[in-house]
Amino acid sequence: MDRQIKKLGIALVVCFGLLFAQVNYIQFFGAERLNERPDNTREQTREFARPRGQILAADGSVLAFSVEERSQFRYRRIYPEGALFGPVTGYYSAILGATGVERSYGNELSGTTPELRFGNLSDLFVDRENVGNVHLTLRRDVQQIATELLGDREGSVVALDPRTGAVDAMVSFPSYDPNPLSSNDTEATDIKTVLDADPENPLLFRAYQDIFFPGSTFKVVTASTAVEAGIVTQDSPDYPVQSGFDVDFTDQDLRNFGGSSCGGTLFEILRESCNWSFAQMGVDLGPERMIAGAEAYGFNAEPPVDLPAPATSQFPTEFPDDEGNGPLARASIGQGDVSASPLQMALVTAGIVNGGSVPTPHVMDRVTDEEGEVVSTFAPSEWTRATSAETADVIRRGMVEVAQPGGTAEGLQIPGLEVGGKTGTAQLGTDPPRSHAWILGFAGPPGQPPEVAVAVIVEGQDGASEQTGGRVAAPIARAVMEAVLAARGGQ
Amino acid sequence: MIERMRRRGELVMLLLAGAVVAGAYVVATLGRTASVPADIGPFLVLVLVLFAGAHIAIRKLAPGADGTLLPLAVLLNGVGYVFIARLREDLAAKQAGWIFLGLVAFVVTLAVVRRPRDLERYRYIALFVGVGLVMVPLVPVLGQTINGARIWIRLGPAQFQPGEFAKLFLALFFAAYLVEKRELLALASWPRRRPILPDPKHLGPVLVAWGIAVVVITAERDLGTALLFFALFIVLLWVATGRAGYLLVGAGSFALAAFASWTLFSHVQDRVTNWINPWADPLGGGYQIIQGWYALADGGVAGQGLGLGLSGAPPGCDPAQGACDGRLPEAQNDFIFAVIGEELGLIGSAAVIAAFVLLVGTGLRIAASQEGAFEKLLATGLTTLLGVQTLIILGGVTRLLPLTGVALPFVSYGGTSVVANYVLLALLVRLSDDAHQRRQRKARRVGALAGAG
Repeated sequence: MDRQIKKLGIALVVCFGLLFAQVNYIQFFGAERLNERPDNTREQTREFARPRGQILAADGSVLAFSVEERSQFRYRRIYPEGALFGPVTGYYSAILGATGVERSYGNELSGTTPELRFGNLSDLFVDRENVGNVHLTLRRDVQQIATELLGDREGSVVALDPRTGAVDAMVSFPSYDPNPLSSNDTEATDIKTVLDADPENPLLFRAYQDIFFPGSTFKVVTASTAVEAGIVTQDSPDYPVQSGFDVDFTDQDLRNFGGSSCGGTLFEILRESCNWSFAQMGVDLGPERMIAGAEAYGFNAEPPVDLPAPATSQFPTEFPDDEGNGPLARASIGQGDVSASPLQMALVTAGIVNGGSVPTPHVMDRVTDEEGEVVSTFAPSEWTRATSAETADVIRRGMVEVAQPGGTAEGLQIPGLEVGGKTGTAQLGTDPPRSHAWILGFAGPPGQPPEVAVAVIVEGQDGASEQTGGRVAAPIARAVMEAVLAARGGQ
Repeated sequence: MIERMRRRGELVMLLLAGAVVAGAYVVATLGRTASVPADIGPFLVLVLVLFAGAHIAIRKLAPGADGTLLPLAVLLNGVGYVFIARLREDLAAKQAGWIFLGLVAFVVTLAVVRRPRDLERYRYIALFVGVGLVMVPLVPVLGQTINGARIWIRLGPAQFQPGEFAKLFLALFFAAYLVEKRELLALASWPRRRPILPDPKHLGPVLVAWGIAVVVITAERDLGTALLFFALFIVLLWVATGRAGYLLVGAGSFALAAFASWTLFSHVQDRVTNWINPWADPLGGGYQIIQGWYALADGGVAGQGLGLGLSGAPPGCDPAQGACDGRLPEAQNDFIFAVIGEELGLIGSAAVIAAFVLLVGTGLRIAASQEGAFEKLLATGLTTLLGVQTLIILGGVTRLLPLTGVALPFVSYGGTSVVANYVLLALLVRLSDDAHQRRQRKARRVGALAGAG
């Protein structure tokens, strides 16, 4: 019997050996593969059980912080400013995931970037929570002014520094309060269901996640492309005064606003926002040069903004010959198949006043660690080269003219500053007449590079006159620019 | 001299095991609540007193027994308790009560069973008690179906799993019966022309007992226990007779029975399907296996830390403020090994496996050291039960085998299992001491003879 007992012992040890080998496979050799399986949510769950750093505005206002709660997930996020910064900070929920800055700077906030983790040598040996605080470029006071002036009209405001791409304010209406969405129980799901069902779609941050007809504001892109191509200068051609542009294959001309007649040199047609002249300008340029011109300003490319899911602004990439000159003529005045996000139009303005260089837009200024030491800063860079500095200067001076008394953007005027702009009224329908009211603007001390660029859209306004953009959107843009410049002066 | 060394070694190892368990308990509590609870003192005293009591009982009742059995069981049992307390605070007090009962049963068994040989006489009583215990859950009113298996009985407020005790009685019966018939069974006389097996009539009673047990347990849907009894029977038959033919026939009949139950029972098919590819039904049948794997993988080499894994309630969770469920349902039962691997890492799971290997090795060493055939078979049977049950559940959790729920001896939550395994341990301790005393007596006789000469 002893022989059998010995063999039994060997057999059992072999079985335990197999078991040990299997445990080694699961816990060591195959562990990484298992941990990364898409249905394995342990890593995410653990992330939600860690504290997170704060999100702060440029003026120091706290926009998001963590409080401990004794639930399955140890922390929940609090957003003291509620809907004012809701779409910017986004929400952070174990159930719904994360959006906004909470998402794009998730690693910094949870302290899992190498800089935060191994910031100093002793941290390698001490298990300390190295969460990072994310400081934004946005200012609470500017955000507040933009929100108040927009009121309960659907629309967006984007203000940024044309020299660096730093966003000063980004606002949309409707907005949402991220606090209930960051609850870690079913309350979050319920609120999300309600918000998702809302036809106004408050969870979509339209300032950069949605696109609209840019209308006449797009004419600055057409003008810039034509000047760069050399077919237009400040003095020539002198477009004849006409009431409309003759479109191929149709009796319906592309008419000026209100059926008026207009024409003249570049600055004159900019001031009057003369439809037929810009349509002619685009058609004279031809499809290739118009497409290249629009794409040089960032159309058909996703803006590299440090926020999740930016919308790509659209300019048509082909104009079939058999459709005649109509599509290109309409695209050249910002209608037809052109659409742009408010952020994109702010970047167009920034490119024009920044010597033709469109900066990379960003909302993060710097990340600090728990002691307040700066861990990383956002390094400004050029996103796209829109045009030459000379061309940009011509268009900038043209836009200054538009904001002079009598121009469509005269509502932007701020005494003592050099101000420029361009209005737009993108028609949505004629019965009843409705339109998006747009304005682009910039401002700065005279003789110096402008310090702020802004784009405002108020959606779905009654009426369709070229004055609509100036009347509705200009006061918002002007107040926002004043607030930004006041803040800059105070720095 | 040897006795004193063994007991001193046992005491040292017990103190080490006690320190490990106490430390783990403190760390697990810290991980959960970030403060040492006020009632930590009484718990430690209780545990130490209980284990010290078992040690003193061995000193008094079986002073020559092997010194590693009790410390290994205490380590496994203590670690198991720490994890049960960490996973289900509400079950901690219950489990502590069962450990107390288990140690009482340990001492009582040592006190009552003074000579293992005496047990041989009760073979048929053991048979009837064993088969009876297996069948009790089928009695209406008494029997309870929990998680699909009808293996529980309810007596007043308490629930028992009589099968855990039945295995001891059946091991006793098999050992005693096979000793009696082993020469007949070793003799091949069937089939007549080329005999490879003994006359089936000698196998009758064993086959009947085993058959009833397996059929009944299959009816109770307790596949793991059926497999355990099957392995016990085949191993003892082979060890008793030395005929490898039994292993072949056993493997063949197992394959047949497995195939038959696979075609007949849908729950067997489910088990096999979930074993082959748990990701086919990741939120249903495969959920537990997948989460067990994820728990082990999450632990990695060093583990997430005691009380910090996600299988149980997350750290700092207060059930009053929302759901605190962990990822692994019923983790304190069959899947406790996955939680140990998650929170203590490969180091912890390897330590648990090593403890079982040592237990099994010690058990087989005790079996080999026995002089009587009955004692040899009984020790082999008890060790086989311990080893195979461990392999069945750990193989199931790690997906080496289809998952069939049995308790991990000494570690899983479950009163009957703890008590039955302490009785099993007491029998091994008794057998070890008995062999030692015999050798001592023989040595004294030889010494006396030498002195006289």
